[in-house]
Amino acid sequence: MRVIKIFLPSFALGIVLWSLFAASWARAEQPHPTEPQIEAAYLYNFGKFVTWSNTSGVSTGEVFEICVLGKDPFGPILDATVAGESIGDKKITTRKISNLQESSHCRVLFISSSEESRLKPALAAAKNGGTLTVSDMPHFADKGGMIQFVPRDNRIRFEVNLPATEEAGLTLSSELLKVAVKVIGKPGN
Amino acid sequence: MNMLVSGTALLLACAAFFAYDQFTFRQGLVRTLSAQAQIIGSNSVSAITFNDPQSAINTLSALKSSPNIESAGIFTASGELFAQYLRDGGNEALTIQLLPEGKAEAYRFGSMHLVLVHSIVFQGKPVGTVHLRASLQELDQRLRRYTSIAAVVLVLSLFAALLVSAAFRRSVAEPIVQLVDVARVVSQDNNYSVRAAPTVVRDEVSLLVDAFNNMLDQIQRRDDALQKAHDELEERVEERTRDLVSSNRELEAFSYSVSHDLRGPLDTMNGFSYLLLKNYSNQLDANGKESLQGIRTAVRRMSELIDDLLNLSRVTTSIMHREEIDLASYSRSIMEELCHRGPERHVEFVAPARADAYADPRLMRIVIENLLQNSWKYTSHHQHARIEFGSKEQEGGIVYFVKDDGSGFDPRSADRLFQPFLRLHSAAEFPGNGIGLATVRRIVQRHGGTVWAEGMVEQGATFYFTLESVRSEVPSRAS
Repeated sequence: MRVIKIFLPSFALGIVLWSLFAASWARAEQPHPTEPQIEAAYLYNFGKFVTWSNTSGVSTGEVFEICVLGKDPFGPILDATVAGESIGDKKITTRKISNLQESSHCRVLFISSSEESRLKPALAAAKNGGTLTVSDMPHFADKGGMIQFVPRDNRIRFEVNLPATEEAGLTLSSELLKVAVKVIGKPGN
Repeated sequence: MNMLVSGTALLLACAAFFAYDQFTFRQGLVRTLSAQAQIIGSNSVSAITFNDPQSAINTLSALKSSPNIESAGIFTASGELFAQYLRDGGNEALTIQLLPEGKAEAYRFGSMHLVLVHSIVFQGKPVGTVHLRASLQELDQRLRRYTSIAAVVLVLSLFAALLVSAAFRRSVAEPIVQLVDVARVVSQDNNYSVRAAPTVVRDEVSLLVDAFNNMLDQIQRRDDALQKAHDELEERVEERTRDLVSSNRELEAFSYSVSHDLRGPLDTMNGFSYLLLKNYSNQLDANGKESLQGIRTAVRRMSELIDDLLNLSRVTTSIMHREEIDLASYSRSIMEELCHRGPERHVEFVAPARADAYADPRLMRIVIENLLQNSWKYTSHHQHARIEFGSKEQEGGIVYFVKDDGSGFDPRSADRLFQPFLRLHSAAEFPGNGIGLATVRRIVQRHGGTVWAEGMVEQGATFYFTLESVRSEVPSRAS
């Protein structure tokens, strides 16, 4: 009994100290965003540099939808990133879809690498619908995807397939193209 | 003195211009820098958003074209340095300057730098900040350049002003000052022969100088004419004086010889009549003695008359010497004499302690003598007589008087009083030959004064006289 009485306070103290330490350690970790966080932020920011023309298939609605097709790598991160944000006057919403029919309202569509085998029809549907397709699967841009995330120098960069965007009726700001690592379809690239 | 004033004015004007120029230049600098910051900011949005520092560095490198921008930096919204630009190379990391709350831009002027911070906003959201640091060297150089320009301009314009002022002084101020000097010489020294030197340039000032000299010519001519007239007058006066002097001397000689010649027979008559009375009185009866007495009396009277006439002539012609004299003392001594000669008379005499006058003592003595003798004579019928001598101040001068309470005279005959020989009383009443008052009048006239009398029958008479209405500085004329 006596032993517990002596050791208990110091033990409790030790736990408190450890948790504080761990918490600060965890907080110190925060300035380095994870890949999903960066990609989520990019998905949201792409919307600021893209103009959807009237001829694009996306019906003009009150919301700006960002959709994720296939296995969702973001989890709650995407929702957290876009919470309360707007593009222009449109509020941003997110949606996880599993088939192409649901993609008609999407402005931005992230195609997960799980859909690699079904890429072609997905891209075709997106093109008709005037949706900006983004993915991190390899050769996405070469295969007709519009923006492909590429890790470069410890950072997430991206490649752009310009003709694909033009076919879908999308206009990408030169500011966006400026920071792209590669722009396919532009003379000189 | 003028230089100081104009120099100060110029300096103040220059300083004002400088200050304004500095101010506007600074404002211009800020505006340029702000524009640059905005351009850089909007071009860096995507770089920051998609974490592409190289793109931002490329954007910043365009600042090479602005030689005054020393360094620039782009910071993320969380305050980290994203990209930087240093004009002179080097690796020093820039530090963030915080923007005040709610402001999109802030700038600060240091001693040699201008630092401007501009917030980058993209679609309503702050994305980061742009920092620009510009050197104020150009400003400094500008200031230096202006200062040297101003100094040169100041010196040149002061010099020009000096030249203009000297020219002005030479052509306008100096001739006028000279005119003033000449005018002063003319008034102070009464020298009308000076003239102002004519100016070289024929302008309005030279007209003034010419007119001035003409005026002086006129004045000099007038002055000469005046002097000539004065001299002529002097000459004429001297001539007349000489004539007068000579005729006076002739008269004097004549009177003297006449009296002398007249005296002769009179003395003879006097002597013989005396002898007759003395040696042949026992052979003469009363009639005879009476006749002889009559002759003696007549002779005596004639002698007196001759003396008086001589006196009168002398009074007229003699030289007058004025002195400060006291008439009251004369009156007292004359009265004493009269009392001594006539001790049986009871006469009360009143006179002031002093009666000053500036006149010829000998002639004035005659005046007082004649007047007092008259009073003495014409009060002889009264038991008791009062004779007064005095003076009173009147405007214009002093009036002297001799007053008695004797037999007086009829005022209607006052004008005959002073004429010689005209007597208002017969010789039986009062002895006398009528010369006395004429003599008094002559003497008083010679002194520049007047004599007049007031009286009533049996109520006394007062004789007034003045001597020269104003005591002047003109010395008595020698005649």
